[in-house]
Amino acid sequence: MTPFKREENGEISIEISTQESHVLISLTEQLLELLSQGDSHFEAQDPLLHLVGISDSDALPDDPVLRRLFPDAYEDLASSSEFRRYTEYGLREKKKAHARIIYQALTSQGEPEEITGGNTPIDKGSFKLIINSAELLDWLSGLNDLRLALAVRLGIGEGRKEGMNIDTKAIHNKYELMLESDPMKAVYAVYSWIGWLQQGLLEEISPE
Amino acid sequence: MALGTATQEDSEVDLKADRPWVCIVWDDPVNLMTYVTYVFMVLFGYSKERATELMLKVHNEGRAQVSSGTREEMERDVQRLHEYGLWATLQRDNEY
Repeated sequence: MTPFKREENGEISIEISTQESHVLISLTEQLLELLSQGDSHFEAQDPLLHLVGISDSDALPDDPVLRRLFPDAYEDLASSSEFRRYTEYGLREKKKAHARIIYQALTSQGEPEEITGGNTPIDKGSFKLIINSAELLDWLSGLNDLRLALAVRLGIGEGRKEGMNIDTKAIHNKYELMLESDPMKAVYAVYSWIGWLQQGLLEEISPE
Repeated sequence: MALGTATQEDSEVDLKADRPWVCIVWDDPVNLMTYVTYVFMVLFGYSKERATELMLKVHNEGRAQVSSGTREEMERDVQRLHEYGLWATLQRDNEY
């Protein structure tokens, strides 16, 4: 049972509680903030370069989340730096656009109304919103960016560059066994939940 | 980077047309298998079978070559894959 549903007219809807919506809003806000880090640098540069999306900067981002979101494109440093210089600004803007679509969809709801579906009353404080079909891929990749960002904080995927075999089941067990008081346990729960959302959305839209 | 850089490199690419560039996707345990398959279908227009096959190769072998072409084309593919959160690189075919 996922929160996504295909409506009679073919549109995909999501039913989400206010509390869940707040979690997503807060995370997308943080991601947008992170993606805007260093924007002043992009803006302060040569205006002509800025206009065509080329940056003066070709350095690897400082934040580990940004490094995960914008990995090196080449094995050699010089080519990677040059690729970064020409593409990172544009990529940041695209990722911001994905996050903004989720953020705006959830924040444009105003005060949630109590809704009912069929004969079963639905928990107070949940609402349903239609995801525009043109925005499905933005939702999927926006959710994926949130998972990547949380994974960095959780240390999931470290060592993947060295070709280390990563046992996702072991990761799951590690967090399952954590004490409730450990804040990372809650972070892992959110990470898993977003994965579940993403999977649910994929199941609704994937052509068989 | 080919865009706007020396034409010398471009002509070198032309001369070595029989050795194109390739785009490689690397395994990231965060990305759901269904998501990776879906991205391959949407970005490259691959069939579900082909996309699943490539996804499994990434998952089981740690990496897979997902496309090939000129350096410019592969840079574009890497850029699009990064946009959707996949871990991609490009290199000359003979390096793979």
